[in-house]
Amino acid sequence: MKKVIVLISLGILGFYLIDIFLGIGFGVQHFTAGVKDLYLSNSKDTLKVSNVVTAIVVNFRGFDTLGEVTVLFLASTALGGILYKKRHHVGERSVLFPASRVVMSGAKLLFPSIVLLGAYVFIHGHLSPGGGFQGGTIIATGFLLMLLTYRNYSVSHNRLVYFESLAGILFVSIGLVGYFSKGSFLENVLPVGNMNELFSGGVIGIIYIAVGFKVAAELTGIIYTVLHEKD
Amino acid sequence: MVGSPVLFVAIPLLAAFIIPLTGMMWKNSVRVIPGLVLAFMFFLSISLMGYVNEHGTIVEVLAGWKPPIGINLVFSPFTGFLTTLMTFLGFIVWLYSYKFKRNVDFEPSMKYFMLLMLLVTGSVGIVLTGDIFNMFVFIEIVSISGYGLTSFYTRRDSAEAAFKFLFMGAIASTFLLIAIMIIYSQLGTLNIADIAEKMPMMDHKLKVLSLVFFILAIGVEAEIFPLNGWAPDVYTEAPGPIGAAFAGIVVKAAIYASVRLVYTMYDFSGAFDLFIIIGLITFIMAETTALRQDRLKRMLAYSSIGQMGLVMIAFGIGTKEGVYAALFLMFNHAIIKSLLFFSGSYLVFNKKNKYIKHVNGMGKYLPITSVLFTIGAFAIIGLPPFAGFWSKLAILTAAADNKMVVLIAVILIISILEAVYYLRVVNRIYFYDKKEKTEPKKPSLNALVAMISLGVIVLVIGFYPDLISGILDRAAADLLDKGNYIKDVLTLNK
Repeated sequence: MKKVIVLISLGILGFYLIDIFLGIGFGVQHFTAGVKDLYLSNSKDTLKVSNVVTAIVVNFRGFDTLGEVTVLFLASTALGGILYKKRHHVGERSVLFPASRVVMSGAKLLFPSIVLLGAYVFIHGHLSPGGGFQGGTIIATGFLLMLLTYRNYSVSHNRLVYFESLAGILFVSIGLVGYFSKGSFLENVLPVGNMNELFSGGVIGIIYIAVGFKVAAELTGIIYTVLHEKD
Repeated sequence: MVGSPVLFVAIPLLAAFIIPLTGMMWKNSVRVIPGLVLAFMFFLSISLMGYVNEHGTIVEVLAGWKPPIGINLVFSPFTGFLTTLMTFLGFIVWLYSYKFKRNVDFEPSMKYFMLLMLLVTGSVGIVLTGDIFNMFVFIEIVSISGYGLTSFYTRRDSAEAAFKFLFMGAIASTFLLIAIMIIYSQLGTLNIADIAEKMPMMDHKLKVLSLVFFILAIGVEAEIFPLNGWAPDVYTEAPGPIGAAFAGIVVKAAIYASVRLVYTMYDFSGAFDLFIIIGLITFIMAETTALRQDRLKRMLAYSSIGQMGLVMIAFGIGTKEGVYAALFLMFNHAIIKSLLFFSGSYLVFNKKNKYIKHVNGMGKYLPITSVLFTIGAFAIIGLPPFAGFWSKLAILTAAADNKMVVLIAVILIISILEAVYYLRVVNRIYFYDKKEKTEPKKPSLNALVAMISLGVIVLVIGFYPDLISGILDRAAADLLDKGNYIKDVLTLNK
């Protein structure tokens, strides 16, 4: 009986959801008055940022991004707290399997280029697709590769904390600089420059670099904590 | 004006990022800094309340973009009242747990205080923000700190409780995102005031659907029936003070979110009846379940859920008196339930499973804690010289003004159940003999100060309810004035 009720109510919700999706009409102009045109024109004219998504994420709705960064920070903090007592010393891992020689030399070769790609993605966040979250994740995958390949590879926990904290402090400080000099938190305080150049968009680039470092350090920390969990 | 609303979020986040660094140099900073930040937030909210009373609502834009492009924070009499309440409780919870985990490792205590600080920050953010997606982000912050704090003891049961909470919370987040998506797909904006203004343009079917998703999502945090399956486990397994933080801070923020939706964003009156129905079911179910509990914290948890049902009913009445009663109930519940959680934790300290029978005869061993628990119990039932009386009276008057006789009858009958299970505990404290050999733990000084200040507030408000009724009146009027909210946000000259 319970299941029938659940199925019926889920069915009703699902029906209306599909109805909405069909009604949205992708690719068709359907907002008569919304914020999208304002976003487009402002990121082109005021901020001179060619990646509109970045302009929205870091500037128009930068406060949300600060929140999202905090969510990730919280997740890694909470995970570290839960797995705290179970942590092994370096070299004693629960995930242990021998890597072949090909993987070992390949990983060494790939690691710098993965980090470079990640850095490229977050430094060019306001010019090309990608940004701090994506770039940071790419860097963390590089560390994951190294941790999986080499048994004794270790990442200094303190160094991760430094990167994480300093990047977070940088983000909030940029916001506070805007607050104290222009009167509004996270407001752009630097010259916006020319569109499509590396130094454009004011503080957007700096914030995305901070986010990139922070995400990379946090995800690496999470991977490291989980890999070193006792059974 | 000494500051502005954004500091409620910026300063704690800055502190959260600094704490790991200072913790390496000075270990005690992980306890001290969150306390300073919470105290700062409390004083900031008081000073802003003073400003708001004279000059009217503060609307702050972020990143220099006026709404609806950018995000804005709204500090009105209503949101300011809740912010003050939450930051005060946050500080009291910090004070109570200052010595918590003092003898164990450094890292767990750092996590505890950091998560506690961000829990308060997220809840304040939910209340202050004027943007639904931003609200979603803050709800995420609150939930994730909640999961972390629930699983703090890393026991089997706490892991189970945290996992339950995580599951419900994750589904709720998805639903919330779907609701926001529906609204954005129809109106092209995320600003609450802008949505409220454009809401009549939206298709009726979609309006109902998005409201359903909103209520389902926020109902999980607001502990409304049947979405509150996680709550009793979490209250039981989380560290004692965190139960108070959930009851006093997180749930209040979630109730605020649902109230903001129904009073400001949506424009149909049927939602008010929905509130009454949901509230009644929650109230009846929770209070009858509380009667059957044999563990103290579980009983308090169900009682807390029941009180939230009562708040929902009061908001559902929809008149100014109803809102006034609801806010008064929220205030009282936050203070009294924290007092009960605090003193209750000491009454069953170090006992396995923390059964109600463990409080037997504690009146002789822990006299002050027992008196404080008794004050809390009497106040939450609604006995006259205590604060709880005035809020129960307010909701009954509000219902009587609207000729809701059945509602009054139900509230009064269920209140008897409430009296039964609370007085049962008080009876055990004073008129039973202590059988167990274990020595009761004396509360530490900071915990005692926290509990006594809450007890004093309960008594003072009980004798002089006028101290707070002015603030509540303005807050209620502010919530009901939807046009003014829209005007304040959308006609910003900056």
